[in-house]
Amino acid sequence: MAVAGGVRSRLHNFLEGADNGGGRRLVITDSKTSLAKLVVENAVIVFGRRGCCMCHVVNRLLLGHGVNPAVCEVDEEKEEAVLNELSIVNGGGIQFPAVFMGGKLFGGLDRVMSTHITGELVPILKEAGALWL
Amino acid sequence: MDFPSTQFVSSQTMATYEPIHQIGMWGENFKSISNPNISASVIVDVVNKLENESETTSHEMLASSSKHDQEASKPFDKIQRRLAQNREAARKSRLRKKAYVQQLENSRLKLIQLEQELERSRQQGLYVGGGLDTGHLGISGAVNSGIAAFELGYERWMEERNKQICELRSALNAQISDIELRILVESGMSHYFELFRMKSSVAKADVFYVMSGKWKTSAERFFSWIGGFRPSELLKVLVPQIDPLTDQQILDVCNLKQSCQQAEDALSQGMEKLRETVSATLASDQMGQGIYVPQVAMAMEKLEALVRFVNQADHLRQQTLQQMSYILTTRQAARGLLALGEYIQRLQALSTLWANHPRKPA
Repeated sequence: MAVAGGVRSRLHNFLEGADNGGGRRLVITDSKTSLAKLVVENAVIVFGRRGCCMCHVVNRLLLGHGVNPAVCEVDEEKEEAVLNELSIVNGGGIQFPAVFMGGKLFGGLDRVMSTHITGELVPILKEAGALWL
Repeated sequence: MDFPSTQFVSSQTMATYEPIHQIGMWGENFKSISNPNISASVIVDVVNKLENESETTSHEMLASSSKHDQEASKPFDKIQRRLAQNREAARKSRLRKKAYVQQLENSRLKLIQLEQELERSRQQGLYVGGGLDTGHLGISGAVNSGIAAFELGYERWMEERNKQICELRSALNAQISDIELRILVESGMSHYFELFRMKSSVAKADVFYVMSGKWKTSAERFFSWIGGFRPSELLKVLVPQIDPLTDQQILDVCNLKQSCQQAEDALSQGMEKLRETVSATLASDQMGQGIYVPQVAMAMEKLEALVRFVNQADHLRQQTLQQMSYILTTRQAARGLLALGEYIQRLQALSTLWANHPRKPA
């Protein structure tokens, strides 16, 4: 459950089986955790239901680009609350899995897939500060 | 020269043979004219021309015959024989035409009958199933009608696709303009997008049907990945058919192939995760006690994700097609589409051949 993005913890997560697709897992331990703060603090963050397979796909795609996304797995009970708060942050409707880049909503799996194929994803990742080179 | 209008017969039964019959009558008419030499040569010229022309001779040829009057005059009875032969040919042609029209009418009636039968059986699809429980009947009926509708639509889709392949082939051989070729390419692409829409619709009714690829031939199913072809595999097959490519194009296609593979891997791993999840949910409590309804219900919920996977896979296929059309020129895209269509036709031929080839006894 490491929140830090150090290389060692990344490797640890990966070796653990990476059952969420390989990102840094963040767990919302209390309701005071500001989602808006999480969105701003992380270059790339993925919100999704716990154990969601679509989330897994998103994470694997991002990982394939060398990005280490923060992954926020939401329990079923907290799902609605999280969705509401994220909608306020975004200023509009949100669906899981939701990917935020550079503090803004990027989209869902559809958008990640399309931009991945057209090659637009990498420049956007770089711009968001998720990738260097 | 002017022909008395009273000699023209109504064209109802004569159809395209007016000139010949009118000549026959005009022949009689000319006999009464005071200067037989001129009139005879005119008739001969006209008859000679008619003999060489096809059955749909037009009137304008009669008008031009007045320019030629240097022919040697033939005996009159030879002309009469020729006229009689013409009349006979005309009559035979009329009979043939009548037979052809009759055949068309029969085919049309048959077509109407078939369409009615089809409509009836499609409606019957809504009432399939022998269960007494109307609720159960309703659901399976809806699924069956969804599948039946899809299978019908797919058959039509196939016919249209085969037609497009022929059009592409002849267009590429005939060297038509790029603009016209672009239209063919665009309609070819839209046609594939139409298939993805159809699949999405039937996936809502029965996702396992789409996953099984039952509507495809056996060889196609052999290559199936989440309800269709792997985009990267198709790229490997088709790109060598589209040579020559510029260096930039080669680079772009390589990147596209790699992106496809990454996306496919991500989806495959997601599917693997789904299998694990469903499996774990089904086995989530102590087995051996016989009560498992909650587990099965929970697993059902997880399985809903399968529809999203099918849609994502088709979305990937669509994106790949789209991206290729941006990378390639119109002509290259046309060749690509043709190669794709033919590749699938060969797979289908392979399936048929396999089904029919003699097998060694077990």
